[in-house]
Parts: sequence; C-alpha cells; structure tokens
Amino acid sequence: MSEILNRLEVFCNSVGRCVAWLTLIMVFVTSIIVIGRYWFDLGSVRLQESLTYMHAAVLLLASAYTLASGGHVRVDIFYSKFSEKVKGCVNLVGTLFLLFPFCIFLIWFSLDYVALAWQIRESSKEAGGLPFPFPVIMKSLIPLASFLILIQGIVIAAKSLLLIHKRDH
Amino acid sequence: MAWIAFLMFLIVMLILLSGFPVALTLAGTALIFAAFGILTGTFDPAFLETMPSRIYGIINNVTLIAVPLFVFMGVTLERSKIAEDLLNTLSMLMSEVKGGLGVAVILVGALMAASTGIVGATVVTMGLLSLPTMLKAGYQPSIATGTINASGTLGQIIPPSIILVLLGDVLSSAYQQAQLKQNIFRPETVSVGDLFIGALIPGLMLVGMYILYVLILAKMKPSTMPKWGNKKSNMGRKEAFSDILKALIPSLMLIFAVLGSIIGGIATPTEAAGVGATGALLLAFLRGKLSLAKLKEISRDTARFTSMVFLILIGASMFSLVFRGFGGDSAIQNFLTSMSSGPMMALAVVMVIMFCMGFVLDFIEITFVVVPIVGPALLAMGIDPLWLGIMIAINLQTSFLTPPFGFALFYLRGVAPKSVKTIDIYRGVLPFVAIQLIVLFMIALWPELATWLPNQL
Repeated sequence: MSEILNRLEVFCNSVGRCVAWLTLIMVFVTSIIVIGRYWFDLGSVRLQESLTYMHAAVLLLASAYTLASGGHVRVDIFYSKFSEKVKGCVNLVGTLFLLFPFCIFLIWFSLDYVALAWQIRESSKEAGGLPFPFPVIMKSLIPLASFLILIQGIVIAAKSLLLIHKRDH
Repeated sequence: MAWIAFLMFLIVMLILLSGFPVALTLAGTALIFAAFGILTGTFDPAFLETMPSRIYGIINNVTLIAVPLFVFMGVTLERSKIAEDLLNTLSMLMSEVKGGLGVAVILVGALMAASTGIVGATVVTMGLLSLPTMLKAGYQPSIATGTINASGTLGQIIPPSIILVLLGDVLSSAYQQAQLKQNIFRPETVSVGDLFIGALIPGLMLVGMYILYVLILAKMKPSTMPKWGNKKSNMGRKEAFSDILKALIPSLMLIFAVLGSIIGGIATPTEAAGVGATGALLLAFLRGKLSLAKLKEISRDTARFTSMVFLILIGASMFSLVFRGFGGDSAIQNFLTSMSSGPMMALAVVMVIMFCMGFVLDFIEITFVVVPIVGPALLAMGIDPLWLGIMIAINLQTSFLTPPFGFALFYLRGVAPKSVKTIDIYRGVLPFVAIQLIVLFMIALWPELATWLPNQL
C-alpha cells in the first residue's frame, strides 16, 4: 500500500522537478528577447509566446509537487501548534471535502473546453504565433494539472489516514 | 441572495484558520456553496462554466510572467550569500557611528527587499543574519527586533516588489471594469511599471524615517545601541574600502539597472526581471557560488513559489466568481456607493477591513480576494488607481507589523533566540508602526506623494 503511495508521490514530484528547469530557460529566453529587441531590432512572436507557455507549464504542473513538499501557504496561527494527529485530521478532511471536489470539478468542466480546442485545431490568435497544437496543449495542461493534484491529494489523504490510525494503537 | 455570499466569506475565514492550504480552501468552499446554491435554485450554474476560461486567462497573463523571473533573481541573490556580504560590509562601514548597525540593517533590508520582495523570507533572513550580531553588539532586544521587523517588510513597498506586480495586475483590470461601467470605452490603464514608480517616493520616505528614528534614539539613549567595533575594523582602510566595493557595487548596479530600465521606460517589468535574473546568475557565477546543484535548488524554489502564488490566484478567482454569483459583488458596491460621506469614507472602511484581514491572510490572498471585489466600486468613485494601490500596500505592510497578530512578528519570533522575549518584539515594533501610520496619513492627505512621479515620466 505505502509502496504505491510513494510511487505516486515520486511521480508528481518528478513532473514538478522537471518543469522547474523551465524557470531557468525562461530567464534565458527573456534575456534573448531583450537583446534581440534592443540591439538588433528583432522581435519574435513565437519566442514571446514560448515564454507564456513555459510559464503556464511551470505554474500548473509544479502545483502537485508544491503540494507534496508543503509549499502551498497555510494560515498557521493554530496549525503550527496542532499535534501531528490533529494536523492529519485537518489534511484528511480538507483533502476529501475541498481538494477532491475542486479537482474533479476542474477536470470535468475543462475537458469539454479542451476537447473543443482540439476539434477546431486552435492555433495562436497572434499573427506569426505558435501553430496548432501548442495553444491546445497549453489548454490541456489545466485538466492535466488538476489530475496531478488529485493524485497527490489521494496520497495525502491516505497518509493522513495512516497517521491517525497509527496513533490510535 | 447576497447574505449567502457574506456567509461564505465568514465560513472561508473560519476554515482557513484550520490551516488547510489557502488556495484549496478558497476554491473548495466556494464550490460547495455553489453546489448548494444550484440545488436550492439560488445560484446560476452558468457561472461555473466560465471557470476553465478564467484559468486560461490567468495562465495566459503576460504581465504576471514577471513573477517567476523576479523570484528567480531574488532566490539567486539569496542563495549566493550576496545579502550576507552586503550586511557585513555595510555594518563595517557604519561601525563608527552610534546606531550605525541599526542603520545598516535598515539599508540592507531596503536593498534586499528591492531584490527579493518576499516578506517572510526577508524577515527570516534578516533575523538570522543580523539579530545575533545586534544582540552581541549590546543593542536592546526590543530595538534590534523592531528594526529587523520593519526593514524586513520594506520588501512589499520598495520596487521591484513581487507584490506590486500582483497588485498592479489586479488593479488594472479593476480599473478597466470601473471605466467600462461608466461607459468609457477607451479606458485609461494603470501598469505595473506605474505602480513601481509610484511606490518609489513612499518607500524612500519610510526608509528615511526609519533611519531618522534610529539615529535620534541612538543620540538620546546611547546605551540602547552602542557603537559597534568588530575585528575587521582594525583592518587597513584601503582593504576595507575594496571589500565594500566588491560586495556593494555589483549588487547595487544590478538593482539600479533593473529599476532604472523600468522607470526609464526602456524595458517592461518582465524584461527587466529576466535581465535582472541573468545578472544575478552572472554575479553568483563570478563569486564562484554557482553550481549545478545550486541551479537546481534555485529553479525548484522558484517553481514552487510561482505555483503557490498562482494556485492562490486560481482559488481566489473561483471564490470571487461564486461570490459574484450570489450577488455579493453588487451588494458591496451598493454599500460603498451609498455611503453619504463619499469616496473617502468608503476608502477608509475598505482600508480598515483590509488591515484586519492582514492579521489572518497574507498579502497575496488579500490582493486576489478583496481587490477584485472592492476595487471597481472604489475606482468608479473617481479614486486614483495608483494612489489606491500604494495606500493598500502600505496599509497591509503596517498590518503585518502590528502586534499581536502581525505576520512579520511571527516569522521573527520563529528565528529569534529564547532570550528575546515576545513582549520585546511587540514593544520594539511599535515606533515603526507609528512611522508607518504617519506615512500612510501623509499619502492620504497628499496623494501627489504617490502620483506625482509616475505622471512626470
């Protein structure tokens, strides 16, 4: 059981750690854009858009990893004083009633939205922007990220349950 | 059905206190309320259908790309120990002056703030770096902690603060909405760059008054902050001078290049942030502090911070959508516009509410949850968006410093040694809270302090 949980978490973490490198690439791409514009009077819509896409990938796909490593802000006035068991209860109840519904809602509602974009083979609205399928892939990141958060939520819920249970014996 | 919206607001606040992540609490609670609303026929499900395109709008927002880039720059400067060197050299420079160490801490706080803009991080770093030194030098604990707390929160107001980027983006869409409602179809805009420039004078005023306070106190009660002579001050003047140059000049140049290019209108905040991050990498490399492992840490920290900010934005967006669906928006707007004493009274009410929310919520959450709801109403009454933004920023900064709930105080308590009493931390920060309030009232009385400079450029 805990073997499966660990694998799921490792999976979410590795996705997040991979996209984290995009932040470094974003730094370089921005500099290239600036140099190109101010020294050579060159501009590239595609390069600009790639920045947006990398940004979207980072903030969406690193979310489950951030959740796993406790990076999402909590109001910890009371939380920091709770015992491990109470913390487990907060996380279990919160995950079941807040995280799960929201992720399932997002997956459910965004699938139609994304499917439509695939159907009409949507490309960039900007002239000279990135062609199909890049804009559609960006939209698809929304349900994908929700799915990753959902998986990490399952891991958190199960671990909290184990934690609460263990202390009972 | 506006009362349901306010009930939801109340319940969200309560659930937040349990300590479940803010972003998911906002989104999840809103969803539950929406579900009940749909079942009882008080909520139009069509609102929920717009959620995917709202998220798409968030991830497609070009202005907000500046956030990860500024964070990257800040984390790089922090991880390569540039802030530490700054503090060491500056305090050396000031060791001959009474209260010099305090002034050095304020200056480093302002500079570090300018390069990171993450409040908690700045207070913690400053606390770890300077508190032991100040205590060892014989500073009274209350004065040492007060100075560190106040300097650590300067990051919110001194550009390029990440918080001003977020606030600028939210304000600009609130401003457009306000103008569209008044049938102005070629709306004026307010940009992140404008907000940066507008924050410059108020930010420098705060720094100046902090320093003045420390110097006056050192003059009147010399025993509370003795002169600080460390071993290095015995070193030859030339040597000391070159040390200072090495530590100070590159980081100062970086900060001025980033700010200057935004203020001069040469680069957008995003471009300046990207160049600044490259510059920070270069600095770290030249100091031999850059390795593949460091790069990995820096990019992971950046990714986690970015995704934290944006998940809150998504959660808050869900929350305000449902809040609007229940008619909470229009109820608040009616309430604000119906106030007989006019826009200033409405503004004052909003400011007090935000100040109190600052005891529970961080800057990012308040910006994303409250500003979209009250912003359009206030701006439609003719309040200047730049002025509003700066007032909000200083107001919240003050809230974070106010005992007993201020955020900054908690952060510092976490890293302060046991010998420093909590009451010392509270007492020491009070004069700085007074300074904050003075500056806040000055800007309220003379909006030009915030709006003059942006209009000149």
